[in-house]
Amino acid sequence: MSHDHDHGSSMSDTALRVKALESLLSEKGLVDTEAMDELVETYEHKVGPRNGAEVVAKAWTDPAYKDRLLGDATAAIAELGYSGVQGEDMVVVENTPDVHNIVVCTLCSCYPWPTLGLPPVWYKSAPYRSRVVRDPRGVLEEFGVSLPAGKQVRVWDSNAELRYLVLPERPAGTEDMSEEELAGLVTRDSMIGTAVVERPAG
Amino acid sequence: MPLTKDMVPGLVATGASARVDADVAPKVKPGDTISVRNINPVGHTRLPRYIRGKKGTVDRDHGVFVWPDTAAHGQGETPQRVYSVYFTAQELWGSDYPDNDRLYIDLWDNYIDPA
Repeated sequence: MSHDHDHGSSMSDTALRVKALESLLSEKGLVDTEAMDELVETYEHKVGPRNGAEVVAKAWTDPAYKDRLLGDATAAIAELGYSGVQGEDMVVVENTPDVHNIVVCTLCSCYPWPTLGLPPVWYKSAPYRSRVVRDPRGVLEEFGVSLPAGKQVRVWDSNAELRYLVLPERPAGTEDMSEEELAGLVTRDSMIGTAVVERPAG
Repeated sequence: MPLTKDMVPGLVATGASARVDADVAPKVKPGDTISVRNINPVGHTRLPRYIRGKKGTVDRDHGVFVWPDTAAHGQGETPQRVYSVYFTAQELWGSDYPDNDRLYIDLWDNYIDPA
């Protein structure tokens, strides 16, 4: 039954299916393989959560930028050069001592590509999408985040054309860090809302 | 003609906003209470079942957007306003849930009625 041993091909069923689809689309002239490679290259190596981390670190260190970010996120993020597909209309929601925000797309897998890249597998999974709207605190516990009962949880279901990015709380003890050092603390999950940014060790 | 390699950077950087430059009067305003229509479309919709029939509060007005329920079927853009609306966890899931937690979702004019 098990197919984890080597048959001489290391491709999984899914990878084979994708290959077959790609060959068909290419043979029929519906996709250009060079364009597809360029798209894969873009989202594997050029666009990812480091972009969002840069936005967060700037908001933490520049109050005027933070105001612009919370007022018109699309324009403020574009100031740093991040815009485009799946980030055309952005909303940034701020975590505070009183509020924790967490983002989901219950209908599919909508996600802010220019700032976070492509979504992780769990974000697209049915268990995350169906549970987080009903029991966000339980899901957060499984991600290792315990919220006090008094803190309000706001779940954002990105069912429409707006894309959501969480502005995490800046951890205490980081007052002397530079914007670049701060960006290094910001994780992808903290900008989805399934993590908080930890104070650096030591 | 398929997308070519040289078109990729421009496409990725620009995207295609679903905003529409149309003058559509707001049906509700921030702070208003709304009820979600209990409708069950057979085609494409962005109205998840778990909020149908529920009452929520308008948080903000995002402006005017294409309506996917018609656009996805080639039946026109049907431009209308989209609002961020929040629901309490208790309204959605019952009294066993925290009384202070909220769910925010974006709703087009055609999904809601003033309550």
